[in-house]
Parts: sequence; structure tokens; C-alpha cells
Amino acid sequence: MAQVKPQIVFDPWNDPKAKPLIQCRSITKRFGDFTAIDTIDLNIYEKEFFALLGPSGCGKTTLMRMLAGFETPTEGKITIDGQDVAQVPPNKRAVNMMFQSYALFPHLSVWENIAFGLKREHAPKERIEERVAEMLRLTRLEKFARRKPHQISGGQRQRVALARSLAKAPKLLLLDEPLGALDKKLRQDTQFELMDIQERTGTTFVIVTHDQEEAMTVASRVAVMNAGEIMQIATPADIYEQPNSVYVADFIGDVNIIEGNASPVSGGPEGAISIAYGEGQDPVQAIATSPVTEGAKVFYAIRPEKITVSHQPDPDRANHAFGKIIDIAYLGNISTYRVQLANGQLISATMTNARRLERRAFTWEDEVWLSWTRTAGVVLTK
Amino acid sequence: MNLRRLLLISVPYLWLTALFLVPFLIVVKISLSTTAIAIPPYTPTLDLAQGWAGFKDFLSQLSFDNFTFLTQDDLYWKAYLSSLQIAALSTLFTLIVAYPIAYGMARAPDEWRPTLLMLIILPFWTSFLIRVYAWMGILSDEGLLNQFLLWLGVISSPLHIMNTSKAVYIGIVYTYLPFMILPIYAALDKMDDSLNEAAVDLGASRLSAFWLVTLPMSRPGVIAGCFLVFIPALGEYVIPQLLGGSKTLMIGKVLWDEFFSNRDWPVASAVAVVLLVILIVPIVLFQRNQQKQQEAES
Amino acid sequence: MLKTLIPAALLAMCGTMAAAEEVHVYNWSDYIDESLLKKFEDETGIKLIYDVFDSNEVLETKLLSGNSGYDVVVPTGSFIERQIQAGVFQKLDYSKLPNAKYLWDTIKDRTAQYDPGNAYSVNYMWGTTGLGVNIDKVKEVMGDDAPVDSLSLVFDPKNMEKLQKCGVMMLDAPTEMIPAALRYLGEDPNSKDPAVIAKAEPVLAAIRPYVQKFNSSEYINALANGDICVAFGWSGDILQARDRADEADNGVHIAYHIPKEGALMWFDQMAIPADAPNPEGALKFLNFMMDPQNIAAASNYVNYANGNKESQKYLDPAVLDDPAIYPDQATMDNLYTVTAYPPKVQRIVTRLWTKVKSGT
Repeated sequence: MAQVKPQIVFDPWNDPKAKPLIQCRSITKRFGDFTAIDTIDLNIYEKEFFALLGPSGCGKTTLMRMLAGFETPTEGKITIDGQDVAQVPPNKRAVNMMFQSYALFPHLSVWENIAFGLKREHAPKERIEERVAEMLRLTRLEKFARRKPHQISGGQRQRVALARSLAKAPKLLLLDEPLGALDKKLRQDTQFELMDIQERTGTTFVIVTHDQEEAMTVASRVAVMNAGEIMQIATPADIYEQPNSVYVADFIGDVNIIEGNASPVSGGPEGAISIAYGEGQDPVQAIATSPVTEGAKVFYAIRPEKITVSHQPDPDRANHAFGKIIDIAYLGNISTYRVQLANGQLISATMTNARRLERRAFTWEDEVWLSWTRTAGVVLTK
Repeated sequence: MNLRRLLLISVPYLWLTALFLVPFLIVVKISLSTTAIAIPPYTPTLDLAQGWAGFKDFLSQLSFDNFTFLTQDDLYWKAYLSSLQIAALSTLFTLIVAYPIAYGMARAPDEWRPTLLMLIILPFWTSFLIRVYAWMGILSDEGLLNQFLLWLGVISSPLHIMNTSKAVYIGIVYTYLPFMILPIYAALDKMDDSLNEAAVDLGASRLSAFWLVTLPMSRPGVIAGCFLVFIPALGEYVIPQLLGGSKTLMIGKVLWDEFFSNRDWPVASAVAVVLLVILIVPIVLFQRNQQKQQEAES
Repeated sequence: MLKTLIPAALLAMCGTMAAAEEVHVYNWSDYIDESLLKKFEDETGIKLIYDVFDSNEVLETKLLSGNSGYDVVVPTGSFIERQIQAGVFQKLDYSKLPNAKYLWDTIKDRTAQYDPGNAYSVNYMWGTTGLGVNIDKVKEVMGDDAPVDSLSLVFDPKNMEKLQKCGVMMLDAPTEMIPAALRYLGEDPNSKDPAVIAKAEPVLAAIRPYVQKFNSSEYINALANGDICVAFGWSGDILQARDRADEADNGVHIAYHIPKEGALMWFDQMAIPADAPNPEGALKFLNFMMDPQNIAAASNYVNYANGNKESQKYLDPAVLDDPAIYPDQATMDNLYTVTAYPPKVQRIVTRLWTKVKSGT
């Protein structure tokens, strides 16, 4: 992907000395009887591209609207740059928002839309012209400055909305489903453009999305939310590789969940356990990151691409399971095999199609071995 | 273009021709005639039985004298001006009263809106005349308003509102209020609330967000409402007649006098034609506004 | 004689192809004893469709447009004069009007100036235009010697200045007000000379500031309620106000005075439009209304005098002996009539009236 160039590791959240730009302390928001946000703690650091990810109704938009100032927390405190913002109205916050609907002013031209915020702070005329020109360049909209919003395409509108919200150089930019209205191809291009702009302007971005792929692509860290709570905050890689719950594992990408009872393995690597999950099945050999008591119920989460499919068990790998292919999903570059084990458990495994279709090794009803390493999956207790 | 389509398109044009153009041409024709003691009370009348010669003869008898006459008496242009002034001012007052109502309705919880809309339309269920008569009861010297103000002690002697221009303004504002509220409400209702939030988010105060976003966004509704009030108010006859004093000069009254008192249908028609020409200006502007709005929405 | 501007009348119900014979009558509102309508239907078996109007102008416009659908209409004298010229009416077939013998010659002579030989119309009611006075109030502001029976009461600005305190209303009818003003000046009230007519303007303009309202119907209520103390209006209306005040027993006492300078005498005439759908039925209705007992019932009800000499036998003494309704001979001789203005003069009259009222 795009960021293969070597870069300095950016991880202020691991630096105990770093001061977060935004701090949410025990934030709760209730609408009548309904609790939209339930005691959330959250730190977002400067220059971060932070994603709030969750299904609709999980409270992510409410949380963002509290950052913008359109909602006030029922309980708890939000500070931005060290300042408690409880009494600061939205128009006085150094926070701008890009609305899901873009909310472009239809009666104003692209230029006037972008200049709107600058004019409100009574910036000098030359400064406004300069800044708007800069924003138009940044979003490649120079040619459309005089057009009205209804005279440009959806993608262009999205860029106007972005330019408008960036024009005042906010400390924090909130993006509410910024790509939701675009078609898939445009969405992917725009994701990279967003990242590029975020990097160039050095603005802190908080994006709200229900699209896990989008969150994983653009964000430096992702907060996975469910029913008003944050389930996990971590980098996309950690969210994917080290989910802390079945919910997170399941929400992000495809995963096989094997439910079983753990027992520590002595003599193996630290934290080694074995998980018995079915009559006649070899227990899964795994590494637990936290201590597990004998016989405790655990969930073993393993991604399909971590499992290899072969006619013989792979002796280099610690785990093996025997089963029958019941379904194959051919996706061009990869194929996903659905394998049913003897105890009825279904396991998905993904293999790259290095060979041409007609020479493919496996087909329906083939009996195959699945193999994976001890460290391929994660042990979850909730 | 196929026949079906042609037929479909021709319906509104036929309608317009039958209900507007033909009557208007008849009025124009009468305005070019001269009075006569006869049925109908003007000459010439077109006798189709005489064919082309009759038509030519008919044309030769028409004259613009009635229009020239309108310029010779200052009554007419004064009445037009006074009507324009009353119509313009009452349109302004109606707007001032209607906007907050429409704004409140658009902001009201969804479940209230049908009720609020109903309340706006409800007065139409009673006869217009009865409602104007009710205002006579409210505004007269011994009316409810004066009794109430006297009871409050705000005034010591009754206010003279009835039979003055004030009563005319009140009557017009009251009567045409729904025509102003409904288009403004429709415009505000359509407006995405996030536009206001966006303005505030970008640093505008609530007031300037209203001024810079809500107001311009409701402009098509405001313009539509203003025309819907201004155009009928200009030719208004009943309200000034019932609520106004004899000093309230309006073209509708002059028209009535020409038609009924002087029995001069040709001059009355000329007055009406001039009134229509005056009205065409705002009507064309209105049309252009509607068109622009449609383009903006597509 | 615009009574109110409301065109109360419905569209003519022409083209109703009912099998039963119908006669469509278009009369002034509140102008008949309604039991007579039933009586007509019972006697003749003709279905009577009775419609009302409030102004001569509305009636005339309908007639001049043609095809009004009415069989009998009741315009006022000066209007009927012009309408006859326009060919609106058909000549009456007196052979079918046996009750015509009861008509009162005095009235017939006067109506003949609008309708020569009464060829097209017969009188329904007649009345005068004069002064309605709230006696107590006028005495209160003007003293006991107030000239309540003189035109100077309303045409002398000095009097009007005093009267404005208790309120004065006048007819909004130039064809009534201008002749009265001319009579006050000692000019010919029936003058068609623009120079003479113009003399009325300063008189009317001088009193204009003191007139609460020019309106041809509101004064009935205003007078009865005590809201105004003087009205210059139609005899029957003022008598109606008098009766209402008496019924309400509200301490208001109204009197009608025919000014000693003379008053306008007007006549509402029954006529049959040339295009009447049922002229035979119309004649039957006319004949029915010329029956002395019937027309007496109508007069008793509406407080107006009629043009039927024989009917006086059947009139209530309260009506017949009331000089406000049936004036004595000397007063009668002093009443004047006005004929229709030619179109050009009519325009001058209307314009003068607009100028008086609006200042423009």
C-alpha cells in the first residue's frame, strides 16, 4: 500500500510524556432514558488520524458531536488542548467538522463556501483570498471556484466540504462518514487523498465511519465502539492481529472463532495453552497473553489467511485439523475454502491463487488438512 | 414528438388560453370600445355574421381614447400609486408577521407540524367575508380590541382603527397571511438543519447563521409568498371597502366605480388592462424566480 | 342606491328545466313580507324563486350583460329610465294586469318621468331620503332648538362640527347626496348642468371632515345602537332603526324627518326583462302584487309607502298615519325627483363624489 516509505514511528499514545490534544474523561450522554454514550475515556493526540468505528447507533456520531460542541455530555469532561470545553459553544471551538451530507451552502459558490469560516473571523481580505486559493489547490478545485455546489460532481462536493472545514486550520477536524456518499472506486481514491491531506496539513483528524476497511486504511488508531462503549482502541494492525474481544475480532475482517476449554501447557513457550474444542479433535495449541486458569472457557480467534490448506498436515505448524471442503469462494487473487471438521465446526481458510484455475489443487468434497502455527491466532476471554 | 406527448403538453396551454387569454382579449377589446346605452353597454360589438367586412368595420371603430382618458385625470395614477403603496407595505407587514410563524413551524417537533399546518389553513373554512366582518367587530371604536385596551388601562380613549388605512393593512395582513406562511414554511422545512450547524461550526453565531444561511435559503419561499400577497392585494377591493375609510384610495374601488356607478365598461376595462400591465412586471419576475429555483434544485 | 357592496345575489338559475312553471323574482333584500311568497305559490300554482340584491348597480350590471334569467326585477326609478333606453325591458301587457286599476295616480304621474306612460313598469314601493335623528343626543350637543327638520342640520359645517361628537353617517350615493346638497343651496336638484352640479362640491367638502362614514347600510345599526346621532338615509331604513331601538328598549329614540327644504322621492319599480324566460308568470306576479291586500301586507311589513291607492284601506293606521311614511299633501308637494344623468354627466357626478370622499 501507499505508506511503504520509511518513516519515523508515530506513536504518541505509547509515550507517557505526550500530552493528548483531546481528553475525554468518563463521558456519558443520555437522551431521556437512552444512554448513547456510556462512561467513555479517550485520548487523541496531535496529528493523529483517529477513527471511531462501529455500527450505526453505537454512539460514534454522538461522541463526535460532543467534540464539535453540538451536544453537551450529561456527565464527564472534555478538554481540547488542555481547556475544558463544557462552556465553549461550537462557533468558538478550534474544531471544524465535515458533515456527512457535506452541508455545503447551496446559495454560495465553491469559493464563498470555503471562505465562509474565514470571513466569520474577519480575516483580512488578502489573507482570505490567499487561504482559499491554497485550499482550492490542496483539493484540486481551482477550476470550480465560481461554480455553485449543484453544478459540480459528488466527488468535487466532497472535496469542497473538506476544503471548507480545513480553511480555518482547525486544531481538530471531525469527519462524519466523509466518504459515505461516494461510489466504491472514488471512495478508495479519496481515502488516500484524505491521508495525504492529513499528513500535509498536520491537522488532527477524527473520522466517524461504519466501514471497517475505511477505518483500517486511513487511521493511525481505531476505536471500535459498540452500544455506547469503546471496545478497543488500537492501531489498525493491533486491532486486526490482537483483537481484545470476540466482538472486535468479528467486526474487523473475517475470522474463525473456536470456542473451547483451556489448559496450560507446561514446558512450552511462556503462556502456552491448549484448547480442547471438540470430541476427536486435536486441541488447539496457542499462546495466551494473560494467565488462563485450567478449564476456563476461551475463544480462539484465527484469521482465514493464517491457515493453510494441504493434502498432508504441515509438520512445521503446531496445529492441524482434518476436514472436508464444502464451499469454495473464488475471488480471483485468492480463494476462500470452507472446511467442515469432524465435529461439525466450520473453518474458513484463504489461499492465494498462485496457480491457474484449472491446475488448482483442491475442489469440493476434497478431504484436506488445515494447518496453522501456535502464534497465528489469539486467545480471547470475552 | 409523438401525438400523445403533444396532447399532454397542450392541456395547460388550452387551459391558459380558455381561462386567461380569451377573457383578457375580451377585456382589451372592451377597453377599446365606447359606451352605449344598450345590451351590452358598449359599441362596437363584433358581428361574425357579416364576415370579413364586418370585422374590418369593427376594427376601424376601436380606439385608444379610454387609455388617453386615464392619463387626463390624476385620480387614476394616484389610485394606482396608492394601491401599489398599500400592496407593498402590507406585503412587507405580512412577511414580518409570517416569517417567525413559518420558522417556528419548521422548527416544531415533527408530530406537531400537521396540527400547526391545519391551524394555518383552518380560517379558510369560514367565509372570507365573515372573517372580515369579524375584524370590523374587533377594530371598531367600541370593538373588542379597544375594550380590551381600555380595560388594561393602556389607553384612555378608544383608538380609531376602523375605517382607516390601518384597518386595511390589518385586514390584508390577516387575510393573506397563510399565502405567505406556507411557501416560507415549505422552503424552511426543506432546508437541511446541518447547514445551520455547518455555519455555526465555521464560526458564525446563531444570529449570523440565520442571516447568512437560513434567510438566503428561504428566499425562494419569501419571494413566492411576497408575490402571492402583493398581486392580489394590489387589486384588493373588499377589504378596503369594508375596513377602510373613504380616504383609502385603491384602484379596485375606482374600477368598481367605473363599472357600476359610471356604467362605463370600456373605461373600467382600460383601468383593468393597465392594472394587469402593472401586475405583469412582478408576475414575470415571479416566474423567473420560480424557474431559477427549479434549475437550482435539478 | 347602493345598499351594501355584498353581491348577495346568486347567479341566475337559468336553464332549470323543471316541468313545473317557475317565475324568478329579483328584489331588494328585506323588502317583502315573506308569507306573500307562499301565498302567490298557493294561489297560482307557480313555483316562485325569490332572489335578493343589495344594489341597483349589481342589478343593472346583470341586466346589461343580458340573459339574467329573471322574470321580475325591481330597479329604482332613475335606473329604470336608462335601462328602458338600453332595451332591457319588455312593455307590460296591461290587459293581463286587471289590478292596475288600483294604482295611485299621484305616484303614476311621478314615475312616468322615468317610464313614460308607465309602459314598462309599475310601482312597488316609494320613499324619501331624509334625516334620521337620535333626538336626545342631538339636543344634548346642539340644544333644544336644533334644526332637526332642516337640511342645514347636515349641510351647515357649524352644525356638523358639533354633531361629529355624537357621530354622523351619510349615504354613499352621489345620486342622492348631490341633489340634496343642490336643494340646500336652492339650486335645481335635478340639474344636469355640470356647472350647477359643481356647486355641490364645496358644500359636501366642507362637511366631509365631520362625517364618520359614508355608507349606505351601516347607519341602520349604528343609529339603533346609539353609536351615531344623525344619519342622512332612506326613510324605511331609518324607521327600521327606530323600531329596532324601540324593541331593544335601549333608551335610544329615533325619529325620521323629511327636511323642510324638500326631500328626494324615489320609486322602486317592478319590470319584466325583455329576455325573461316566463313573461306570463311575471305578469301574474305583478298582478298579484298589485292586489290591494297583498301590497298592503308588504307595506305594513317594510314600513314603506306603496303606489296602490286602494291598498291604503288595508294598511295599519301606524303606517298610513305616519307622516314619515305617508307624508301630508304639503310635504308631498315639496318632494322632488331626479332623473338619470347622461353618461358624461354621470362621470362628473361620480368623480365629484370620489373627490369629496377621498380628497383626490
